[in-house]
Amino acid sequence: MKRFISDIKKYFRYIAYDTKATLKAEITDSYLGWIWLILEPLCFMLIYFFIGAVVFKSKLDYFPVFVFIGLSIWNFFNKTVVQSVKLVQANKETVTKVYLPKFILLFVQLGVGIVKMAVSFALVIIFMLIYQIPISWNVLYFIPILLVLFILTFGIGTIFMHFGVFASDLTNLTNIAFKLLFYLSGIFYDLVGRVPAPYNAILLYVNPIAYLIDAARQVLMYQSTPNFLPLLIWFVIGIILSIIGINTIYKYENTYVKVMR
Amino acid sequence: MKKDKIALTVDDLHIYYRDMKRFSLKKTGLKDKGTGRIFKAVQGVSFEVPRGEILGICGKNGSGKSTLLRAISGIFSADKGSIDLHGNTISLLSIGVGFQKKLTGYENILLSGMLLGFSEEDIIKKAPEIIDFSELGDFINKPVNTYSSGMYSKLAFSITAILETDIMLIDEVLSVGDSHFTEKSYNKMKELISDSDRTVIIVSHSTKTLTELCNKVMWLHEGKIRKIGKPKEIMEEYDEFMKETL
Repeated sequence: MKRFISDIKKYFRYIAYDTKATLKAEITDSYLGWIWLILEPLCFMLIYFFIGAVVFKSKLDYFPVFVFIGLSIWNFFNKTVVQSVKLVQANKETVTKVYLPKFILLFVQLGVGIVKMAVSFALVIIFMLIYQIPISWNVLYFIPILLVLFILTFGIGTIFMHFGVFASDLTNLTNIAFKLLFYLSGIFYDLVGRVPAPYNAILLYVNPIAYLIDAARQVLMYQSTPNFLPLLIWFVIGIILSIIGINTIYKYENTYVKVMR
Repeated sequence: MKKDKIALTVDDLHIYYRDMKRFSLKKTGLKDKGTGRIFKAVQGVSFEVPRGEILGICGKNGSGKSTLLRAISGIFSADKGSIDLHGNTISLLSIGVGFQKKLTGYENILLSGMLLGFSEEDIIKKAPEIIDFSELGDFINKPVNTYSSGMYSKLAFSITAILETDIMLIDEVLSVGDSHFTEKSYNKMKELISDSDRTVIIVSHSTKTLTELCNKVMWLHEGKIRKIGKPKEIMEEYDEFMKETL
């Protein structure tokens, strides 16, 4: 644990700089540049808006905001964890030449994800203003919700990153699992209202992403408070997963390079 | 600066590669690490390098030279034995140092520098010197994936040569780039070596490099030290040996 903190301190500047540089590279790489940061979530929102509102005839209020909140959180979690599987391999050039604690790579990935999510939530705020959704002080609960999301994503990411080095077929598995998870997270439909009674509650509390999305909607759109017990439970689980992940990485990271080809 | 006389101690170092191809999801149990064939790349190597010494390492392909360097730089873990750096900073210089291809040369200078343990201010201060030495000119602001392989290694060499670490590990670097740059980097090497505080380990096949630059040469053969001693003697014997095996 001490080592973890001193490593974070030591590599903090590196994380910050690499995050910035990675984002910049992504932006300069494409024709429309930074506009994609806005355009991408906007386009996906339109697609799911069409599916939800037109195909499934959803009658939810403020439906674009509803979809947008779900999508922002989902994209952050999905991209970070899916990329973490291939993360060590993707940074082969660096990893085979110099030592760095491998979870630093994950922090860079988190940094990139956070910036993208921030842009996406800026759009949420704009839509909230357009629809004139009333806001209460409960909005502040959004901060602990985000914190739990970060910790949980990091914890799951470290473990996927570790196994991703050894098992190349993990990518296929995560792709399938995450597709399923996507549909079970109630991103473009109301999980509680659409799924029959006992199952909706189960889905909501077993799947952290569904829960976090729902909680974020509660505080941002409906001026209510989130259910605190699951938030606390997922926070603790996130911390435990992170500790397990960090310890595993410290223990095995020096064999990663030997396995890669 | 530490005043230790010994810069690096390697004690009974063993490094094994395991055949991990059969790793499936089902068997990713961590205790299964020992299954599969084991290839012993380095077997029981021990040596010490005093501060300021230039150690050359020779040996035929697959004798464990690069593995040894990687272990010293901290990328590999030792399966048995230990490596003590006595608190020195270290950098591994080999063909194509770890660059992120989408980023520009300048950004890579900063990132590499930070990975080597330098502060951002230090690197920014030294960056002009690096760019100048690398002869990249305007290409420094272009993504690294637009570079030719020569430019790539020039930049790699320049970063490690200008950002001076206490111990430098060099893997066949003098053989890359055009002849002009090879000459230049060879001279820079000599200059770096003349600094009595710097410890250098060079892996090379070139008899010229090893005899001219090194104080001592270690001959690795199939993961073990076959001989260690004066460059001239070792290299003569090594050349003789290589001719015989032809």
